[in-house]
Amino acid sequence: MRAPIGIRIVNGRKSQGVSQAELARRIGISASYLNLIERNKRDVGGKLLQRIAAELGLGIEALTGESEQRLIHVLEEAFSDPVLEPARLDSPDIQALVAQSPAAAAAMARLYRAYGDAVSSAEAYANRLNSDPLLAELLHQILNHITAVRSSAEILEDVSDLSEADRLRFRTSINRDSRALSDVARTLIRQFERSAVRRRSLSPARELDDLIIQENNHFPALEEVAEVLRAEALAAGPFGEAALAAVLEHRFGVAVRRGSGHRPGETGFPGQYRYDADRRVMWFQGSTTAATRQFQLARLFAELAAPDVLQGLVDDGRLTSAASRRLGYRAMGSYVAGAMVLPYSRFLEDAERQRYDIDFLAQTYTASFEQVAHRLVTLRRPGEEGIAFGFLRSDPAGRLTKHFPLPGLQLPSVGHACPLWAIYGAFSTPGQVVRQIVRFPDNSRYLFVAKTVARRAATFSERAVPSSVQLATHVLNADRTVYADGLELSTGSGDVPVGPACRLCIRRECVHRQEEALATPGAEGMQREPLVPRGFDLGATD
Amino acid sequence: MSVDVLIAEDEPSILESLDFILRRAGWTISSVTDGEAAIDAVRLLQPRVVVLDLMLPKRSGFEVLKLIRSEEATRSLPVLVLTAKGQQQDRRIAEDLGADRFVTKPYANADVVGAVRELLEARSAATGGGESRS
Repeated sequence: MRAPIGIRIVNGRKSQGVSQAELARRIGISASYLNLIERNKRDVGGKLLQRIAAELGLGIEALTGESEQRLIHVLEEAFSDPVLEPARLDSPDIQALVAQSPAAAAAMARLYRAYGDAVSSAEAYANRLNSDPLLAELLHQILNHITAVRSSAEILEDVSDLSEADRLRFRTSINRDSRALSDVARTLIRQFERSAVRRRSLSPARELDDLIIQENNHFPALEEVAEVLRAEALAAGPFGEAALAAVLEHRFGVAVRRGSGHRPGETGFPGQYRYDADRRVMWFQGSTTAATRQFQLARLFAELAAPDVLQGLVDDGRLTSAASRRLGYRAMGSYVAGAMVLPYSRFLEDAERQRYDIDFLAQTYTASFEQVAHRLVTLRRPGEEGIAFGFLRSDPAGRLTKHFPLPGLQLPSVGHACPLWAIYGAFSTPGQVVRQIVRFPDNSRYLFVAKTVARRAATFSERAVPSSVQLATHVLNADRTVYADGLELSTGSGDVPVGPACRLCIRRECVHRQEEALATPGAEGMQREPLVPRGFDLGATD
Repeated sequence: MSVDVLIAEDEPSILESLDFILRRAGWTISSVTDGEAAIDAVRLLQPRVVVLDLMLPKRSGFEVLKLIRSEEATRSLPVLVLTAKGQQQDRRIAEDLGADRFVTKPYANADVVGAVRELLEARSAATGGGESRS
C-alpha cells in the first residue's frame, strides 16, 4: 500500500503558507513535478523527500506516515481474522478509521495483539494438558480419587445391610480420598500458576520489538556511548580484536582466552563464547570467526563500561517484566557493539560509496553479513539517514526469529512469511546472496536481498544450523544499491508476485499457496483442490 | 479355589470398593496392585475375567494385556479395562491390544458390575455354559 505522502506534503505546505511554486523552487524541482508528487502520481523518497521535509520543518515520519502505516497493517490483519468477520472493514475503511480516530484505532490494535497473546496462551495450555507428564499424572490422581469417593459413597447409599465395620471403612475411605483430592487440586493450581508465569515470559521479545520500532531502530544515547568507547579502544591501537582485548584487560582486568572447547559430556564452557564474571575471563571457542570475537568483545566492553546507560534504557515503562528488561539489556549491549564496530558516519559514507554492498562492508570492517545488515537498519539519525531497510531473520523451519519492520511492507506478526520471498530461497544456495524485486497484491514493489548465515561448527557432531537474513527496501531505493544491477526496475517485467503470508494474501491464482487465507469472502479456489471437481458445502451429496 | 474376577488396581480405595461390590455380586475375587503380580496371578489363578487398570506400577496395564493375548492359555480371557476420562489415545491402544470392554473413571459401581456380568456370561456361553455363578 502506498502511503498518501502527497496529501501530507500538501497539508504541511499549506499549514506553512507556502505556495506549490515556492516549495518547488526551494527544493529544486519544477512546480509541475511537485504537483504530480502532491497528487500521488509520482513516487518520492530518498534525498528529495528529505529536502521537502527539511523545507517544511517536518520529520520524514510525519510525511511518510510510518507509524500510521504500521497501525493500518495490524488492523488489516485483525479485520481479516474470523473473530472480527461480522464487523469486516476493507482497506479504505481501515485507513479512514486510522485517519479519523487514531487513538481508537491504536487501542483496537492493542486489543487485537492482546487477543493474539491470549489465543497463544490457550493453545499453550491445551498443549500442556495433552503432553505435560506432570499434569497428566495430576489429572490421573484426581480421577482416581473422585472414582474412589464416588464408589464408596454409592456403597454407603445403596447397600442397606452394610455392616457397621464396612460403613466405617468406606466413610474413612471417603474422608481420606477427599483430603487427597484437595491436595492434588492445590498442586494442580500451583502448576498452572507456574506455567502462566512461564507463558508471560514468552512475550518479552514482542515488547522489545515494539520499543525498538517506536524508536525507529535508532538510539542516539547508545550511538554516543559507542563513539566514546570506540575512541577509548582506538587509544590502544587500530580498532579490532586486539585493541578491544587490550582495553578490556587494562580497564577491567579481563583476560581473553581461545580454546578448542570440550568434548561432549565434559563440563565447562559450552557454546561459541562465554564470559566468566567471577574469574573475569572471556572465552571463545577456537572455531569462532574474527567477526564474532570482535563483536562480542565490543559487547562485553559496553556492558562493563556503560551499565548505567544500558540500564537506563531498559528501565523504560514499556518493558514490563524482568524477562523483557533482561532481553532488552542484551539487545542494547549488542546495539552498542554494532555501533562501535561500524561507526555511524564513516560506515554510512562507506555504505553509500559501496552502494550498500553488504559483503564488501563486512570484509572492510571485519564484521559478519548479519552484523552489517542489522547495522544498516539502525542508520536512521535525523538529517543523516541511510536507506530505510527492513530486516528479517528466519530459521530453516521458516519461522521468523527477528524482524525490524519497514514502513509500508506488510509483515506477518507471527509465524512465517510468503514462501516465495528471497529469505527462504536463500536456503537453496547457502552463503550466496539472493535478490529479487517483489510485487505485492497492492502493486507496491520492494527489493529483497537475502543470504544464509551459519556459525562454524566446532566438532563433527555439532550441528551448525543456518539462518537466513533478509534486508528489504522500497524499490525507489533499489538503484542506490549494487543489488539492483541487472534487475529490471522500471517495467517490472521481472517482478516476483508475492504476498505477506498465505493467510494474509489475496492472490487467488497463486499455485504456491500452503494455507487458506483468513476470512476472505468468496474464498473458493484459494486452497488446493481434488483433481475432479467436488462439492464440500453443507449438505452436498456428490 | 477358582477365581471369578482378578482385579489389577494400584489405588487402595478403588481396589477396596471394587473388591466389595464384585464380591457382593457373588463372585470370588482376587486382587493385585502391580503389573508383574497381575501377570503372575493370571498364569497361576486362571481367573474367568480380569479387571485391569492401565496405570499400574512395574508393568503397565498395556503390557499385561499384551501378554495375556500372546499366551495360548489366556488368549481368550475376557479383560475389562478401566480408563480415565479423556484418555482416548490409551483407549485406542488398549482396543488394538485386544481389550474386551471399557469402563471410564469415575464410574458408577453398577457399570462395573454390569460389564463384569456380561463378560462372564459371554464366557459361559462360549465355553458351553455352567460357568456363571450369578
